[in-house]
Amino acid sequence: MTTVRRLGIASVLLVAFGASIAYYATTLALRNGHGESAQNVPWVALVFIAALAAGGVMAFWKTVQRDINTISSQMDTMAKTGKIGLVMLESTGELNQIVKPLNEFLTMIRRQTEDLRVENRELQIQFRVAAAEKHNTEAIIFSISDAVIVTNRFDELILANEAAEKLLGFKLTPSLRKNIDQIISNGTLVRLIRETRSNGRNITRKVVEHCIDQKGSPRTFNITLSCVAAPADEVSGVVAVLHDVTREKEIARIKTDFVSNVSHELKTPLSSIKAYIEMLLDGEAQDEKTTKEFYEIISFETDRLHRLIENILNISRIESGVVKVVREPISLTSVVKQVLDVAVIQAKSKNIRLTDSLAPVYYQIEADRDMIYQAVLNLLSNAIKYTPEDGSVNVTVNVDERRKVAVCEVSDTGAGIPVDDLPKIFDKFYRVRANEKMAKGTGLGLALVKHIVETVHDGKLTVTSEEGKGSTFAFELPIIV
Amino acid sequence: MSKRILVADDEAHILHVVSMKLKNAGYEVLTAVDGEEALELCLSEQPDLLITDYQMPYLTGMELCLKLRSDEKTKAIPAIMLTARGFDIEPQEMIDAGLAAVLAKPFSPREVLEKVSGLLNENQAAHNESE
Repeated sequence: MTTVRRLGIASVLLVAFGASIAYYATTLALRNGHGESAQNVPWVALVFIAALAAGGVMAFWKTVQRDINTISSQMDTMAKTGKIGLVMLESTGELNQIVKPLNEFLTMIRRQTEDLRVENRELQIQFRVAAAEKHNTEAIIFSISDAVIVTNRFDELILANEAAEKLLGFKLTPSLRKNIDQIISNGTLVRLIRETRSNGRNITRKVVEHCIDQKGSPRTFNITLSCVAAPADEVSGVVAVLHDVTREKEIARIKTDFVSNVSHELKTPLSSIKAYIEMLLDGEAQDEKTTKEFYEIISFETDRLHRLIENILNISRIESGVVKVVREPISLTSVVKQVLDVAVIQAKSKNIRLTDSLAPVYYQIEADRDMIYQAVLNLLSNAIKYTPEDGSVNVTVNVDERRKVAVCEVSDTGAGIPVDDLPKIFDKFYRVRANEKMAKGTGLGLALVKHIVETVHDGKLTVTSEEGKGSTFAFELPIIV
Repeated sequence: MSKRILVADDEAHILHVVSMKLKNAGYEVLTAVDGEEALELCLSEQPDLLITDYQMPYLTGMELCLKLRSDEKTKAIPAIMLTARGFDIEPQEMIDAGLAAVLAKPFSPREVLEKVSGLLNENQAAHNESE
């Protein structure tokens, strides 16, 4: 407004100056040409011209001011609403010359603003998509049970999942980038990541087996290291995935041991069979009695081989769950009685006193009859096998009403088991060396009992033993109440 | 004088068949059912040859052989091993244990006899030469 006012004052001064010059010129002309009569005329002319000039200026000024106001208020509205429009004037006055380029300028701004807005919206969408993808990728990495570590080309840790944090004992702060050697205490892993990064594209992927101590127990990991390749032959980082293979290795070892043990056990009777047949073929049996003895040995060893194969098949079938477990209410006492009927023959041949004390038959357990029969038979036949002649074997079935369990106990006055051997006697093919001479065995009997009682029936199998005095095997199963 | 051979195996039938094959061939045979008994017999009886099983109670065939090598009195007794192990015995292990031959189970008694007579004749020849 002040600028406009100054413009007005300047116009008035300009008009006054113009008028003064006009007056001076008129008076000069009249004085030279017409004399006295003209003395009064200049004043009238002066006033007239001045009024005319003032009027013209006023009218011009009003139009300009109105136009300026119009422009100003329209600009104001644009500023307030944020919508860029065009400036429109009612008059066709002088200011239209300004309005035209102004409008061109405004149109250009409007177009550029619109472009920017579109661009901005696209960027926002792209950003959201990227954020969602990042979130997704992180969620995938976090859901992996293997430990995952991601580093950048400066060997700084940029991503690690929970499994990695737990395994290597750190907490990742994403905002604070640190070199891996400051976070990961495992020197080998740090070295592997650095090596992979510096080898770059030459080796894109490698797997290293490495042992990491976890809470005192060593675990074996397969560490897969991959380079994250960036354009222009650069390496932008390394991804390390640590997969725990401890259990797999353990299973592989058990399997190898099992196969090696099985083949050893099978070869023993097979050796006898082959050797005695060759002896017969070579005429080494010099009389009828010896010939018959050889045939008997071959027959005995063939039976042994058959039994062994049956036992191996049984245990592997039961362990792999191929054998269907038929659970039904059975009386432990009646199963034990059935076993005793068979075992009594074996006991008699060694003059072993076989005694029993069995709970009433009406107590029932929910179990597979054939499997429980097998378990009791194995315990009882072991007891007789490892008890010297004239010893005794006692079988009891007791019911503990308070704990709601039936307990079957088989005790003998046999060789007993050395303390060092006790923890291993339920392992497959494990045989107590000190007692190996007493009886033949496959080392599978007790492993099967343990599997039947504990794995199949959720029961408990225990052993107490004193070397030279005897052993007591007991198992308990819940009774039906 | 016939040669004396010690046979050690915890499997009674194997012990029996090997002994019989050797006896029929005219050898004198001693038997042991575990590693410790075999070691004692080697020391007290000084057999001309040992045939031993690998897996035996108290002392394995390999442990037995290593013990024999460490004692002056038994150092020279040649040994043949019968084994049902699923893997081979390393050449170095054989040298350390002083094993002249290793036969895998199931074995052939005929082959055992061949090895025995081969070894004993060889030893006899070497003995005669040195005299």
